[in-house]
Amino acid sequence: MTTDDLEHDLNALAEPRPEDEQLRLAIRATLGEQLQERPRRRRHPRLVLAAAAGAAATVAAAIVAMVGTGGSGGPATANAAILAHVSRAMSPPANLIVHVSETGLNPDGTPVGVEWWQETNAPYAMRLIKGPVGHEIEGAADGATQSQYDPATNTIYQQPDSRAPTLVDPIETVRAALANGTAQAEGTVTIDGQPLYKIELPNGVIGYFDRTNYRPVYLDNPQGDGSVVRTRVVTYEELPLTPHNESLLSIAAQHPDARVETGPAPGPTGQK
Amino acid sequence: MEMRALVDAPALRARPVDPDAVLVAEARDEPQAFLALYDRYFDGVLGYVRMRIRDESTCEDVASTVFTTALSKLRRFRGDGTFAGWLFQIARNAVRDVQRKPAAVALADEATSSEPDPEERFLAYERAAHLHSLIRLLTPEQQHLLALRYGAGLAFDEIGAIVGAAPGTVRVRMHRILEELRRRYPNDD
Repeated sequence: MTTDDLEHDLNALAEPRPEDEQLRLAIRATLGEQLQERPRRRRHPRLVLAAAAGAAATVAAAIVAMVGTGGSGGPATANAAILAHVSRAMSPPANLIVHVSETGLNPDGTPVGVEWWQETNAPYAMRLIKGPVGHEIEGAADGATQSQYDPATNTIYQQPDSRAPTLVDPIETVRAALANGTAQAEGTVTIDGQPLYKIELPNGVIGYFDRTNYRPVYLDNPQGDGSVVRTRVVTYEELPLTPHNESLLSIAAQHPDARVETGPAPGPTGQK
Repeated sequence: MEMRALVDAPALRARPVDPDAVLVAEARDEPQAFLALYDRYFDGVLGYVRMRIRDESTCEDVASTVFTTALSKLRRFRGDGTFAGWLFQIARNAVRDVQRKPAAVALADEATSSEPDPEERFLAYERAAHLHSLIRLLTPEQQHLLALRYGAGLAFDEIGAIVGAAPGTVRVRMHRILEELRRRYPNDD
């Protein structure tokens, strides 16, 4: 063992890691929050409410917990750590497929669901099933082709599309807000007996995260009419890039007997 | 003759302008300026903490504690030492507070990672764990010096300014620390 070898190993202990940037942003966000609170001498305990009153009809009963109000650095430190952990839990490494399924109730009581798979490296191919139960639409994109499936006619409509697949989903919104430092941890709430970390986003989305693995459990999604749809994240898993799992990204692989046509899907299934 | 006179002249002892001092003064009037100090020292503090604490989650918590504490106590920083010295003293105290508590049982992330080359990763993890355990055998002062050098990546003169010693003295102490570690650190990986 030479001194150079030892120094190499010492440097390795502290070398920067890819996820450091998320931690940096999370702590920065906490400091920003602390700076805004600075004029106040004492921080009053805040009651954390689950959602706006107008959304109460759609929101399951939430037992609200008081957040700890310790001395200097207590809550702020805890919040930064929560944001960092959640950010890391929701930032999967490359060469995987993330699989998420969410269920919820529309304001009118109809059940809705969304399920998607997306690979974590270029071209970020994805497949998505979304909509009211029984009337879901299914689409996929792989950076070269966009596909939609019409179950009524068992037809896949395909058209060239070289844009990078973009996922419009609350999970992605949460991930982006965590990455850019705009998400704020708001303590702990208990929903259906389960204590969860609550994280608010600037656009009104609220995420509730498991306190042990930091994965999302519930998401409150504000709607255009002022209501809030709460979805439960039934599945959040990372799958290896095996041939079988890769087939989950492809509409053609999922509907091998479907007729394939070129062009946009007609009617409601053409909407995304 | 003129050259000789210049060489023999006593060195000017004026201290250069400390950019940190400027930012600290600014942060006292405009607290947002603290974020510039944070950006400057984030990597160094995180590296310092990683050198002294093995568990990654704890490192993140401690790094967060260091900066939130520094912000809340900034008005108490009188400026009679460097900001870096003050900040790394907070880091040192935060590490000490964590190390006083019973060790967490959770495995570090590396042990459960699903990334390729699991055997190689396991060996690296074991090696890092062993080195961490050896660092913990050093005196607190030695651990502090080592973390300032290899964790925060500071130069000998910067460390000297923090610990109140001449750069040459820091270099000698560091040499002794490395020798001590080297004697205990096996070469049989």
